[in-house]
Amino acid sequence: MNSNGIVVFANNNDKIDYVKQCIDLAKRAKKHLGLPVSVITDSPEYAHDIGSKVFDQIITVRTNLDADLRRFKDGALAEHRSQFKNNNRAKIFSLSPYDNTLLLDSDVIICNDHFKNAFKSNQDFLIYNKSNDLSSFRPQEEFQYVSEASINFYWATCVFFRKTKINEIFFNLVDHIEENFSHYCKVYQLRTNFYRNDFGFSIAIHIMNGFQKGEFAGIMPGKFYHTLDTDLLHKIDGNSLVFLLEKENYLGEYTLAETCDLTVHVMNKFSLMRELDKETYID
Amino acid sequence: MTKGILVAAQNNDSDNYVEQACLLAMSLSITNNSTPISIMTDDKIPKEYKGLFDKIIPIPWGDAAEDEDWKIQNRWKLYHITPYDETIVMDTDMLILQDLTNWWKILENYPLYFTSQVQTYRGDQVTSDYYRKTFLNNDLPNLYTGFYYFKKDDICLEFFKLLELIINNWNLFYEKFTPENYPKWCSIDVCAAIAIKIMGVENHVINKNLTYPTFTHMKPAAQDWFHVTDSWLDKVETYVNKDCQVRIGNWLQSGIFHYTDSNFVTEATISKFKAKSNVK
Repeated sequence: MNSNGIVVFANNNDKIDYVKQCIDLAKRAKKHLGLPVSVITDSPEYAHDIGSKVFDQIITVRTNLDADLRRFKDGALAEHRSQFKNNNRAKIFSLSPYDNTLLLDSDVIICNDHFKNAFKSNQDFLIYNKSNDLSSFRPQEEFQYVSEASINFYWATCVFFRKTKINEIFFNLVDHIEENFSHYCKVYQLRTNFYRNDFGFSIAIHIMNGFQKGEFAGIMPGKFYHTLDTDLLHKIDGNSLVFLLEKENYLGEYTLAETCDLTVHVMNKFSLMRELDKETYID
Repeated sequence: MTKGILVAAQNNDSDNYVEQACLLAMSLSITNNSTPISIMTDDKIPKEYKGLFDKIIPIPWGDAAEDEDWKIQNRWKLYHITPYDETIVMDTDMLILQDLTNWWKILENYPLYFTSQVQTYRGDQVTSDYYRKTFLNNDLPNLYTGFYYFKKDDICLEFFKLLELIINNWNLFYEKFTPENYPKWCSIDVCAAIAIKIMGVENHVINKNLTYPTFTHMKPAAQDWFHVTDSWLDKVETYVNKDCQVRIGNWLQSGIFHYTDSNFVTEATISKFKAKSNVK
């Protein structure tokens, strides 16, 4: 019998506790999806201390000590700089303890069971090529193509894969792209040298499709939603999430919005942390 | 039944359409070696390229485009001079990048067939109406003559007779059929669309459900870009390898590639096609 499970990366920095986010994600995964969650982290002792009861497995990785500093926004007005240790996502293929894996970012709040359908798919690799911004005014250009004249954008936030030979090639390719990212930036006309998993996955999918439109990647089931780091998560109440979404042309002002039973990718990790701290999540 | 490609090429002060036709012929010889191509032209074809063409046919009945810069006035003559029973007509600024055997099999089901849905270099169907307002706002068949097919039969003969009449009196026909977004010059696409509308055979010569035969249309405003530049070459990188595979923005091109901008053709590109197609 093939094993199914969720794997999340949690490499903490001095500002963000990704392990804590994973604990909430694991509880929600168990409730909505009935799936075990394993965490891949460079802080295994800490993960044991606070999450040994919720995690299926705690897998240790070493991260890059001199990882790039990145700007993390906390709403429209505040921002912090901290390390962004995203350099081992491609290792998921060998690190995942499951035959069928749902790879999630820790800042995804699971509020329904739609992800279950990924495990029923007859495709071996699924990913979203579209995520719906809860705010309606913001341009979606940067999430349609990796750059305006380049290839289609895919979200590495949420990826389902089976341990097949083809998928092994795919993740090896992602690894290669990450190692040679400055070259691929030129080839794909990216306007940044800063590696994003979304870019690495998008480029690898394009290559797997023979540099054309193709069928390597299926689309994840259900709609996916996100808020940006310029928005604020205001409240978590079970499957109801309350957000303050930045207003167009009014810097620092927000519009209240509530979702119910929608799984949402919350990019403002600080407001997510604040809301999780209010809950009694830690056993 | 003989099959072949036919192009019309008349150079003007700014563009060397004969050279483009030679490049097209080289691309054909690489991907469809047994398919002949003929050219209708009064311009000189360089000696090195003459062997690429099955027939080099002078423009019959005088050059109706002699005083024109945009030379499409002789296009109706193609039916009468084609050496083939089944003919695909193409614009010169195109490359054939794949085997077209299956396309011929589809086309033989039609007496006359026009591409009506073209693609971006990313393989998406063009949805922009930027260049097609005359067609949409006047309820004309939204067809492209950049790539079309005809057989030698009565329907096609009628079409080309009508096309001759429309081209020679295009202002009169435009007043009647294109009062909205009235084109300022004689367009072969618009003339052909008017002819098809008059004949009432749109559904017999266009199939909107077919994704191919089609071509990749590199007009910049058709590319689904948020910020359109005058030349698509200012927006996206191009690459032609020694096997004459073409990548645009690292998208590998296949089928028919309509580059539209003559600056795409560089000496380096011509050299690669010459080497691959053994032109010496």
